[in-house]
Amino acid sequence: MSDTFRQWAEAVQQIAEAPDTPVGITRCATYLRSLRTDKGLQLAARFLDERIFPFRSGKRVAVGSRTYSTCAAEFCEIDYEQVFKPCKKALGNAPDTIEKLMQNIEAARDRRSSAGLSLSDIRQNYERLSGLSTRTVKKTLLKSAWRKMTPVEINYYIRLMRGALETGLSSQQLASALAEAFERDPSRVRHAVTITGRMGRTALLCKHDKLEEARFFPFHPLPPMSASPAKEAEAVDLTRYVAEEEFAGLRTQVHLSGNRVKLYASDGTEVTGPFPDVTHFFLSRPIPDVVLDGVICAYRDREILPGQLLRKRMKMKKKRPGADMLEQYPALFIAFDILYHKGELISGKSLSRRRQILEKLSENHSVPIASQFDVRDRDHLKKLFIRSLSHGNEGLVLKLRESAYETYGQPSDSWINIIKPAGSLKTVLMYVHTENGKHGRRHTGYTLGVRVREDPRYEEEFIPIGKSGADDLGDEETKRLKKRIRDLTVEKYGPTLGLIPEIVVELEFDDIRLNKRTKANYVLHRPRFSIIRWNSDPVETATLKKVENLYQKKINQNRLKQDENPSFLIHENYTSTKD
Amino acid sequence: MNIIKAGSSGVLLPDLNIEFDCSGTDGGHTFISHAHADHMPRSKKSRVYCTAYTRALMRERGFEGTAQVLEFGTPLDTQRARITLYPAGHILGSAMVFVESERGNVLYTGDCRIPPSPASEGFALPGRRVDHLVTEATFALPIYKWDSHEKLASEVRSFASDSLKNDFAPVFLAYDLGKAQEIMQMLAPLNRPLQISRACYNLCKIYERAGFHLGSYETYTSSTCEGKILIASSHALNNGFPADVSKKRIAYCSGWATGTTRFVGPSIDKMIPLSDHLDFFELIELCKGLRPEKVYLTHTPNASVVQHYLDNLNIDSRLLE
Ligand SMILES: [Zn+2]
Ligand SMILES: [Zn+2]
Repeated sequence: MSDTFRQWAEAVQQIAEAPDTPVGITRCATYLRSLRTDKGLQLAARFLDERIFPFRSGKRVAVGSRTYSTCAAEFCEIDYEQVFKPCKKALGNAPDTIEKLMQNIEAARDRRSSAGLSLSDIRQNYERLSGLSTRTVKKTLLKSAWRKMTPVEINYYIRLMRGALETGLSSQQLASALAEAFERDPSRVRHAVTITGRMGRTALLCKHDKLEEARFFPFHPLPPMSASPAKEAEAVDLTRYVAEEEFAGLRTQVHLSGNRVKLYASDGTEVTGPFPDVTHFFLSRPIPDVVLDGVICAYRDREILPGQLLRKRMKMKKKRPGADMLEQYPALFIAFDILYHKGELISGKSLSRRRQILEKLSENHSVPIASQFDVRDRDHLKKLFIRSLSHGNEGLVLKLRESAYETYGQPSDSWINIIKPAGSLKTVLMYVHTENGKHGRRHTGYTLGVRVREDPRYEEEFIPIGKSGADDLGDEETKRLKKRIRDLTVEKYGPTLGLIPEIVVELEFDDIRLNKRTKANYVLHRPRFSIIRWNSDPVETATLKKVENLYQKKINQNRLKQDENPSFLIHENYTSTKD
Repeated sequence: MNIIKAGSSGVLLPDLNIEFDCSGTDGGHTFISHAHADHMPRSKKSRVYCTAYTRALMRERGFEGTAQVLEFGTPLDTQRARITLYPAGHILGSAMVFVESERGNVLYTGDCRIPPSPASEGFALPGRRVDHLVTEATFALPIYKWDSHEKLASEVRSFASDSLKNDFAPVFLAYDLGKAQEIMQMLAPLNRPLQISRACYNLCKIYERAGFHLGSYETYTSSTCEGKILIASSHALNNGFPADVSKKRIAYCSGWATGTTRFVGPSIDKMIPLSDHLDFFELIELCKGLRPEKVYLTHTPNASVVQHYLDNLNIDSRLLE
């Protein structure tokens, strides 16, 4: 008997309803162990990782929310506008709504009978769906598939298509479930998942005890190593570290293999399109297969320009940026690490060793690389730090010479970030964002506002300036905040609560960015709660004018040219194009 | 027939001088469907008619006006109408009010449930023509369809036993009146001691007087609650009850526990969609069965959806607001 999609969907539901993560992992492990066939295990694990097609297939199911929602309304014989939409509004999401309607409405029940579809059947169904282009034919295919499913199957069929399973388990936690299912060393399974990005294949390697066969191939972005915050720097032995400047730019991974190059942002999304000057550089040289970690900076006249200028390029998404954009904000990739070289994953080698390889590569092919500085003592560290800021960069990263490149787990003190003290502003809490978790509705984010009461451009009193979490508040303060929020809630927009603006929050942030899509035109980058000013009056909140002034000050900062002691090394006759 | 809304939940028949679920006016006949706070009269001066148990429950909850008892099925005649109460299946004492007059017959359902709550006197319709049906439509969307009482009862029992087995105190989040007693009835076969709030305790005594078996229970004390099943209102839970129990699992028992989007505040481990209102499909069936000239909807966030279905059945309807 084959492994069915129904078992998978019901298992996913069980995992999503687990009271906590360990229970979720155990439920997942129990399910994975129960699968009978290799094919079933592979697909089940891949689907749990929210992937439908094998890695690098390039296939994609493009079915929008309106298509499957109207399709479900037709299937249930209900009016989309008058009935489906209010139902979806009440439940908050389409897949759960469709599950309920499929279960409750007679017309839908009459049409369905569970056919025990296998995981392979579902895979084939998605495959067919990915080849279709018009809404009508997609709907026909959806309907014929739903006819053979239970309501829970339909729910998770849609969720998988959208990549929104909401199991509460990350890829790393799925790896732990695989380890538990087949009694393997969890760190080896996690490593295999990290370097291959292939949950299905890893599941099979796990089952057959062949984890050593896991291989990295380019064009699967590796999770970038992150640095722990500066407080750790106090205690470390500086002689074991080197320092690099923390660049004001976009953290990017370059994958180069054969005649192809791709760029990935730190969240793994591809950003090749907006940077033809960078890709051109790599394609115009006989560079061997590599994966480089580094940063894309806007660089002109030997100056590193403010990082936010690059964001204009990012907005282009699919379109190629025009010649004027390329000239105005030329992008430069500066490498600071190398993870893969000539067919071999070298992230496990020490930083010193990786640096040697990187320097060689730079010598041979003029790849710009970050400067590394030995740190003599605390005073020297301070000097380096100030120089970084005057270059227009954001501070320093200390890197342990003998450390490997860590692709998962919490940041350790292998890399330590010493960055410019964050800015801080008094803001007022305007909206609370909530989500259904395992423990009911919880607060997932907070929208904070600045004051525009005396600002002739606005009618309102406060407008949003940033969205923050509030993880570091501590139990007492969190409780107090929750209670206060309950008292001040006056509106609900689906999962969002609107508050009377009363709670004043001192907000820290890394940067102020221009964002034309917001009411304020500015957003705080990486805002976080510093302290709640329970006794402050909302009139003490910072004004939008103040935010604008801070931004201008930063843009107009005088920048030290890259002459003496530069932040990075660039070949004299660097050009992004072939001559 | 002129039917209008009065205040937040009252309904008036000005032609007949009849009022439902409000504090009442001089010279009017005021009928209270049941003892939930949003239906109870607030004024000390109120003079109202209701069932005996509604009166007892209202007194317990602080009603200080005058209430005259009208038994189910026993008509009261006024100058312009004959009024009879029918059991609504919602909570103990809950009644639908049937008004017969020359201007037509009105059935005011108050809050009702079909099939009725086993912790109520049941549900019965007047065997007469209903021209105007005034009904609540709290759960007015086809996503709301309740499981059978047996299925929900076994969910409640297994949540309690599983939690206890794993050394967690099961906490049922439910209103003090109606829902709490229904859950206690469901739990009674487990023979496990139960702790509830003082307010709930006093209401339970009235249920027992009416012959409902609620198992063994006592009022909540933090020193002795270990290993017991707890029932708390969301109000109590928001205010720290039962704070002393560190290992607890919370089940939210409400029609709103369908899906997961309603904001309920504290951490919920289990959603049990146990409602004391009729679901969407029962509501449509009720209207279809009675085929009134007009349906008047109250207590509803989604009147337009019900009206859409009634339109398709050629039943005229209106939202009372
Ligand atoms: Zn009620
Ligand atoms: Zn009510």
